[in-house]
Amino acid sequence: MRRTFALLVAGVLAGVPAAAALRVIGSTTVNPVVSEAAAILRAEAGLEIQVDTAGGSSGGIAALADGRAEMAMVSRPIKVADRQRFPGVDFRSTTIGADALALVVSADVWSAGVRCLSREQVRGLYERRIARWSEVGGPDRQVVFFNKEPGRGTWEVFADWLYGGVEATPMVSHPEVGSNEEARSKVASTRGAITQLSAAWADGVRTFALGLCETGLPVAHPTRAAVAAGDYPLSRPLTVVTDGPPVGVARRLIDFVLGGRGQALVTRHGYLPLSQANGEGGHP
Amino acid sequence: MRSSLARWASYGATGLTLVFGTALLVSFVAQSLPVWRHEGLAYVTGSVWHFRSEQFGVLPMIYGSVVVSIVALALAAPLAVGAAIWSAEYLNGRNRWWFKVPIELLAGIPSVVYGLLGVLLLRNWIYELFERFEPLSGDTLLTAGVLLAVMILPTVMTLADDALRGVASSQRRAARALGFTQAEGVLRVSLPQAAPGLVAALLLGLGRAMGETIAVFLVVGRQDSQADYGLRSWLEAGQTLTSKLGSSETFLAYGDPLHWSAIVGLGLVLLALVLSLTLAAGRWLPETGLARNRRA
Repeated sequence: MRRTFALLVAGVLAGVPAAAALRVIGSTTVNPVVSEAAAILRAEAGLEIQVDTAGGSSGGIAALADGRAEMAMVSRPIKVADRQRFPGVDFRSTTIGADALALVVSADVWSAGVRCLSREQVRGLYERRIARWSEVGGPDRQVVFFNKEPGRGTWEVFADWLYGGVEATPMVSHPEVGSNEEARSKVASTRGAITQLSAAWADGVRTFALGLCETGLPVAHPTRAAVAAGDYPLSRPLTVVTDGPPVGVARRLIDFVLGGRGQALVTRHGYLPLSQANGEGGHP
Repeated sequence: MRSSLARWASYGATGLTLVFGTALLVSFVAQSLPVWRHEGLAYVTGSVWHFRSEQFGVLPMIYGSVVVSIVALALAAPLAVGAAIWSAEYLNGRNRWWFKVPIELLAGIPSVVYGLLGVLLLRNWIYELFERFEPLSGDTLLTAGVLLAVMILPTVMTLADDALRGVASSQRRAARALGFTQAEGVLRVSLPQAAPGLVAALLLGLGRAMGETIAVFLVVGRQDSQADYGLRSWLEAGQTLTSKLGSSETFLAYGDPLHWSAIVGLGLVLLALVLSLTLAAGRWLPETGLARNRRA
């Protein structure tokens, strides 16, 4: 009995992570880049960096504000509303790359010929006025909209683009998804599914990123080239945010990500490096 | 001297537990006050949850929690009690050990593992199995209920087994002496005698089903504002009190007093639900137990 107890205590203690010098929380879109950069810095420079994705972008901002993290990963611009909510925090955001946000559909929708949607069609789908794919040239199957949770950077960028603001977005009731991994796996395994997701996460096998098409205009595809040329409207900055100017380990992590090897990571994960991202980036 | 020390220590521990319990309850009530003022009783009867327009109706989540728990219990109870009867009444010694230990190990598997299995296997099975009813996806209240049934099965089984083993073997021998077959002995003697323990086992399972968060979160679909409450809704995405509490909306709510109080209120409603269940059972339980004992 006593041994069991000792083992239990040892197990619990082993599970408690050592206090890291830098705790990073936030967006699952930014996460792959920062996680790999952190792994390299851990191995090469012995820096203690802990990366977590609880709660997405808004989760990261909240964690930064109440001291559970020293850095937030945020896949959208910092807004006035954020500063109003946390007046004590001096948000300094550093753009590390850019990303195309797309409407991603399941294979059956794609193979039936749906390649792009207009803004009006996206509104119809989101507000459930369009209930079957046949209404927009797809299969005769019901539309399953996996809505990103409110508070996710992806959702807020989508709402800004579609309705001009989070507040103006109508009330809808859809099944919700959280992380990018969850969104992708649920779309892949559901017929007639659509979700808002970073285009780089669509694998082109079971999940496909749609273009945006308005009548009379060429289709805007969510490709890196289109974002770089400013032809794709649903692009967004990928950022890391600190409270005040980044110092110490945070500074080193940012310098690494902005440097050559870091930017190579950004490119490798399908995002747009700073050199192509319309000069949005750079230090705060 | 020593015994009084032990006595005071136990008084102290009990007192401390009471203080913590009460403090918890008080802080939940206090922190959820704004939403009660804002919504009144509509907080538990309203069926629309939309925090941007400051509408907080928890009924869909209460409904979701109740449905998944009922499904879980309805599926798990017969299997668990059946397995417990087999283990307690028909197996002996070593065989019983080989049967029971693996099941008890199942009870120790972290719930997130069950949740991932649910995502990988169960949601697809449900999706294909009920295809002709056109479920939107594999994320349904039913999926969550079935997953919970698997999760509470070991707990209920092992406690039911303990309850049955608690029936004195003299009773069984008496039954045999009176000419009962073994099956009759189980039905007429062991089960009635163990009834309070069996019900307690089921209640514990029900409590676990209601409180389970992460596994449910992964397969329930997390759709606020249920449209209908018929049987059809079992094959639709839903929301439970716990899956709502586990969502990233809690991060948004933080800092907004009304929204935050609505989130805390969810915890209070869950607490009230489980508490009333336990109290109801506590009232009902000892009487049946005693009554049966007196008759026996």
